[in-house]
Amino acid sequence: MLPDTEDEEKWLAEGIAGVQHNAFYMHRALDSNDLKDVLRYSVQMLSELRTSLLSPHKYYELYMRAFDELRKVEMFFREEISRGNISVMELYELVQHAGNILPRLYLLCTVGSVYIKSKEAPAKDVLKDLVEMCLGIQHSVHGLFLRSYLCQISRDKLPDIGSEYEGDAETVNDAIEFVLQNFTEMNKLWVRMQHQTAALVSHAGIIVILKLLGDLVLRLEFELSGLQGLTREKDKREKERSQLRDLIGKNLHILSQIEGVDLDVYKETVLPRVLEQVVNCKDDVAQHYLMDCIIQVFPDEYHLQTLETLLSAFPQLQPSVDIKTVLSQLMDRLSNYATSSTEVLPEFLQVEAFGKLSNAIGKVIEAQAYMPIVGAITLYVSLLTFTLRVHPDRLDYVDQVLGACVKKFPGKAKLEDSKATKQIVALMSAPLEKYNDIVTALKLPNYPHVMDHLDNGTKKVMAVVIIQSIMKNTTCISTADKVEALFELIKGLMKDVDETQDDEIDEEDFKEEQNSVARLIHMLHNDDPEEMLKIIYTVRKYIVLGGPKRLPFTVPSLMFSALKLVRQLQGQDGEAVGEQVSATPKKIFQILHQTIEDLLSVSSPELALRLYLQCAEAANDCDLEPIAYEFFTQAFVLYEEEVADSKAQVTAIHLITGTLQRMNIFGVENRDTLTHKATGYSAKLLKKPDQCRAVYACSHLFWVDDQDGVKDGERVLLCLKRALRIANAAQQMANATRGSGDPVMLFIEILNKYLYFFEKGNPQITSSILQGLIELIKTETQSDTSSDPSADSFFASTLRYIEFQKQKGGATGEKYEPIKT
Amino acid sequence: MASRRRMLLKVIILGDSGVGKTSLMNQYVNKKFSNQYKATIGADFLTKEVQIDDRLFTLQIWDTAGQERFQSLGVAFYRGADCCVLVYDVNVMKSFDNLNNWREEFLVQASPSDPENFPFIVLGNKIDIDGGNSRVVSEKKVKAWCASKGNIPYFETSAKEGFNVEAAFQCIAKNALKNEPEEDIYLPDTIDVAGRATQQQSSGCEC
Ligand SMILES: Nc1nc2c(ncn2[C@@H]2O[C@H](COP(=O)(O)OP(=O)(O)OP(=O)(O)O)[C@@H](O)[C@H]2O)c(=O)[nH]1
Ligand SMILES: [Mg+2]
Repeated sequence: MLPDTEDEEKWLAEGIAGVQHNAFYMHRALDSNDLKDVLRYSVQMLSELRTSLLSPHKYYELYMRAFDELRKVEMFFREEISRGNISVMELYELVQHAGNILPRLYLLCTVGSVYIKSKEAPAKDVLKDLVEMCLGIQHSVHGLFLRSYLCQISRDKLPDIGSEYEGDAETVNDAIEFVLQNFTEMNKLWVRMQHQTAALVSHAGIIVILKLLGDLVLRLEFELSGLQGLTREKDKREKERSQLRDLIGKNLHILSQIEGVDLDVYKETVLPRVLEQVVNCKDDVAQHYLMDCIIQVFPDEYHLQTLETLLSAFPQLQPSVDIKTVLSQLMDRLSNYATSSTEVLPEFLQVEAFGKLSNAIGKVIEAQAYMPIVGAITLYVSLLTFTLRVHPDRLDYVDQVLGACVKKFPGKAKLEDSKATKQIVALMSAPLEKYNDIVTALKLPNYPHVMDHLDNGTKKVMAVVIIQSIMKNTTCISTADKVEALFELIKGLMKDVDETQDDEIDEEDFKEEQNSVARLIHMLHNDDPEEMLKIIYTVRKYIVLGGPKRLPFTVPSLMFSALKLVRQLQGQDGEAVGEQVSATPKKIFQILHQTIEDLLSVSSPELALRLYLQCAEAANDCDLEPIAYEFFTQAFVLYEEEVADSKAQVTAIHLITGTLQRMNIFGVENRDTLTHKATGYSAKLLKKPDQCRAVYACSHLFWVDDQDGVKDGERVLLCLKRALRIANAAQQMANATRGSGDPVMLFIEILNKYLYFFEKGNPQITSSILQGLIELIKTETQSDTSSDPSADSFFASTLRYIEFQKQKGGATGEKYEPIKT
Repeated sequence: MASRRRMLLKVIILGDSGVGKTSLMNQYVNKKFSNQYKATIGADFLTKEVQIDDRLFTLQIWDTAGQERFQSLGVAFYRGADCCVLVYDVNVMKSFDNLNNWREEFLVQASPSDPENFPFIVLGNKIDIDGGNSRVVSEKKVKAWCASKGNIPYFETSAKEGFNVEAAFQCIAKNALKNEPEEDIYLPDTIDVAGRATQQQSSGCEC
């Protein structure tokens, strides 16, 4: 009973051949004006439409062939009448003698069309007659196509307002009545198809069983496959129904096009009648489709003005109807309408659209007890979109939607449905996108509640979305309260929520997330120092919970944010430094001190050391000597106790010397202590070359090229000499091991330091010392067999420099004169 | 017989949802326009008498649903079309981009015998909106496309103001008339019709 496509093609081809064959003779009859034969062959042609073998798609092809032929017949009828060969009434009678009902009704509709056009009878009566006659066809597919034929031929002949068929006695109501009746009957035929399935299968079964009678084995096999056949038949039936649906929907389109279906008529007649049919048919396929049609086919204003009636139908639909999609489409349509022009917005307020929609959604969710959570959330997402577009200023509405959504979550449970989660992300992102501003979203009390129901992974996703929104809009979060609220929202990124998941975390993702948190911290700002300090406290409160993996990302951000405040305070120095003021650099340094200690507790000594030095320098700029000293001391302690790796030590020493060199607030004693330590550490580095370089760098600690900087020529010389000694030792070691490394390079570097101080006027550095050093290097490079080209060229250019200075003449030239290169 | 056939010209209007297909047809046939959007479901036609060179023809204008989900039954009605009207909205780029799809789909489904020369016409609708300030598809671009597809005639229209609608349909009718009708040449191999008809009835149902 289930035709495969090959068979179907064959049947269609046969049907088409039948149509063509009869049309051929019909054309002949048309040409010879032979009415009797025209009728005879058109009936035979139309008989091809009595097939039950074709799917609706194929049947439609066959129908279109016959349809095109009928246009010629219609034209012929009109000509016959105008020639006076027959009256339209007689013709109307005549075609009713056709033997078969289906061809007869097609012909009757065709004559009916001519009849109405002739205006010999009121359109209303003819249409009423036709629509009732069509009841004679109860075969679903045949009936649906016949009635759609009736639809088509009456399309331009409805007695609606302004139409030429709107006679005295006729009103638009007749037109509406006709279409509604046809619609109702078509829907019935369509719905009934669903229930024909079982009957058809058992019918088919009997035939097959009879054929197989006597062969028990085959019969058993059939019974087994019969069950599969049943579901297959059902699927097929549903597919067929879905192909046919536009025939039924078309009636709604026609209703919407009828001139005279104004808002009142729509409200009083059309909508209630259509909804009645939709609800009462109790068929989920029909209900879903027809509700969709109503929404698409009738204009926005009508929906807005009849919202209550339309919405009241939803809870009455079958539980299996996919209401969320339909309702979402309604809301989408209305929100598009709202954005189309500002003039329509008052309409929305006037009809209280939000309240009604929100109410309807509540009822639908209640009525559809088995609706999965994702369905409910999808509805809320649509409602929220609607709200944001129609009432962007009503934060209370927005919050109400979120609140209603929260209520749908089961207890404290987290959502596990991934589709639902996706919807939630959409729900929470919508206000961010609308307002381009997390600050507004933070005002919504229910916003964090929705967040609470997300699983940890989704919480993170959402947190990243929030941060991205802030970065994109360069939103400034300007109070400690807001910062607190924000961190509460994104705490999924701020601390480990669940250790068990630790190993699942992707390293790259984690870095990305933490970097975004670090960037976020820079967006937390207030120009008022008091509030800014509060913000810093709040940030600290949250980031210290972050654990060893997060602190290295977040602490530097907090540090620099705090140091910015320090600089700001330093700028307005003295101005407002009253007793009651709590935002003082001292205070901030205190927090920073603690924060760096937190960092230490998670063993990031190198980073901590850098931060100590940063703080020291900032304290220096604030003239806070004891604090700066303290930070340095901390840095040294760290260096001694925690920095063990030799490479890290080298880096640390250079940082220390560099910073120390820039410090200018230390008194002699403090300074001596620190420089002493720094040189001490330098000389104790693991590798000779490192020692050498660190030591000659220390020379700068005793000679600061400022107006009132330290200028201790003697100690500079001591450093340089010490560096020379180390270089010497390094060379001896290198000779002994014939190893690599290039001590000559060190000598040249030291020579350059000498030159620097010579030029800066350090009296301890004389031209003869320089001369000695140059000679030393010369002998070294000559004796060195495996000479290093980079050392050679460095030396050469150093000598060139000296020559150049000589040639300058004047004081400089004089100074350099004695040196021989 | 051929003359009888030639009195009817079949025209199909295609294009994305909302570009104004129904509005153009209503403006042309009924001289009416509505600002409200009412989606079309399925396909159907209106007719209008047109005069071309002193001869009267009936234009059968098929309006179709631009929304795919309202075109469930397929496009069997494309068959026998004499002209295909492709409509886009000058204010919506996507609707222009899709013209190619609509054209190709039509050629595949209607499979006219001479696809190269099948008459198409392109209408750029809604030129009234915002005094033309919101248009995004330039005339140059459309004309280039039309030229590349075998010099398709192009009209800019406003269904709302009735601008160019009459002229466009006049051109549609003329081009439809130029199209060589493809009446399937059918020659019966037997004159015995009754026999085949009864045979067919056995597979039909009882109604
Ligand atoms: N301003 C303006 N609006 C138009 C014009 N033509 C159509 N419209 C409007 O555009 C919307 C869509 O018009 P329709 O004619 O229904 O579009 P359609 O192409 O038939 O759409 P579907 O039936 O969904 O395929 C309606 O709101 C019309 O009022 C026009 O020329 N100018
Ligand atoms: Mg339309």
